[in-house]
Amino acid sequence: MRSAAADATVRFVNSSDALLAARLAAGDDYALAEIFDHLAATVYGAALRVLGEGAAAQDVVQDVFVDLWRHPDRYDPQTGTLGSYLSVRARHRAVDLVRSELRRMARQERHRRLNPNGRDKSPLDEVAATDAANAVRAAVSLLPESQRQVIELAYFRGLTYREVARTTGIPEGTAKSRLRLALAKLETVLDRQLLESL
Amino acid sequence: MTARAQPPPAVPGGLRERVLAASRQARAAGIGVPEVPPAAPTDAFSAAASAMYRLLCSLSEADWRVLVIRGLDAQCLIGHLIGVEKDMHRCLAGDAAVARADHVRSTQAEALRQRARPAEATREEWYQAACRTIALVAELGDLDAGVVLHGVPLPVRDLLVARVFELWTHENDIRAATGRPASVPDPPSLRLMAALATAYLPFGAALVGMRDPVGARLVLTGPGGGTWDVLLGPAEAPGRTSLRIVTDVVRFCRLVGNRVAPADVQAQVSGDPWLAESVLAAAAALALD
Repeated sequence: MRSAAADATVRFVNSSDALLAARLAAGDDYALAEIFDHLAATVYGAALRVLGEGAAAQDVVQDVFVDLWRHPDRYDPQTGTLGSYLSVRARHRAVDLVRSELRRMARQERHRRLNPNGRDKSPLDEVAATDAANAVRAAVSLLPESQRQVIELAYFRGLTYREVARTTGIPEGTAKSRLRLALAKLETVLDRQLLESL
Repeated sequence: MTARAQPPPAVPGGLRERVLAASRQARAAGIGVPEVPPAAPTDAFSAAASAMYRLLCSLSEADWRVLVIRGLDAQCLIGHLIGVEKDMHRCLAGDAAVARADHVRSTQAEALRQRARPAEATREEWYQAACRTIALVAELGDLDAGVVLHGVPLPVRDLLVARVFELWTHENDIRAATGRPASVPDPPSLRLMAALATAYLPFGAALVGMRDPVGARLVLTGPGGGTWDVLLGPAEAPGRTSLRIVTDVVRFCRLVGNRVAPADVQAQVSGDPWLAESVLAAAAALALD
């Protein structure tokens, strides 16, 4: 009986990120399963660092892997490892989620102010949004007191610039500039979260 | 200690299944990306014939005299293809004689007849014969009709793709002999060629006497590639061995044309390398000459 590899002229070649990407592009779904088994924990960890515990981080993992499967050509092995690529994608996706949650919360507060008895979200939506909302609240809590105050009044209580100015006893122009500054800071905080996790 | 130094968290149970199911729903397995538009076998044959004709128009008088394969120069090789086209015409007309004919012997007279002719006459006769093949297939209408040519029974649509293999392979024989760079079929044609080769791989396995039952996953990379799962060896045998072979779709097609040795395919193999070599040998056995 011939031994497995003794006479073989076909070489066994070790897998590489480039080869995994080529397999994905060729429609080899086993390659996706292999990548998940190797890198899912890293990707999940990257999402968790931005979002905290919960379902939102799992959603990010799903989005990142589905996107890799649909568009494997977006990964260029020349620019880094697949693990780095997926981790960065996860962090970006998580930060995007937090940013969109900030916008959603602001819209929701305005809506509640106009419709105090109405409900605009299902219980399921409420649960799914919790993680991202926590991340937003954490970012807001890092703002200086004067800026946190205008954000809370304008976005979470739905006050207009004029109402914010009247409530805080500052000129309307100052309220506007503080709000702009606070939003820019929030973006910076979220960006820093991204950078620190790199 | 920084967060970076912490071990990654455990992946929640059920997430793997959820992610893989969502992925397969977003994009079907087996199909390569970017997805190539489907090609009709007749279009692929026409494209292969056009590529060959363009090459022949570029040959110098000296190029026509260069030995290419089996002691045939370029002109005699095109004579061989004239013979194949004529046999194809008879096949499409239901002539049983060409069903049993040998691919090389039955065309040898046409090949040798070219020696006394101007190269241009050979080129034009072959091109007209190839055009006649396309016209006859159109007249027949039914690409699923079963035919037998040179001992190989197969539907007309598969016969056309097999002929694409032949035209492309001989085009590159001439290119190699005359010092020209190799050509590559367009991705839709490659997809058809790869699909045909993988579909007939069990036939090739039987030709090389493969006795081990193997479940092979063929991952053919590059434009026109894709992924195919093929069962090889005796169907009733227990304990089928799993094997994965990853290689470039163009190299695989050259292997099927028997112009690359299995050892030179540069395949990435997962499983028994010797079995992988048998599978690749089965692919090369599909070539007629």
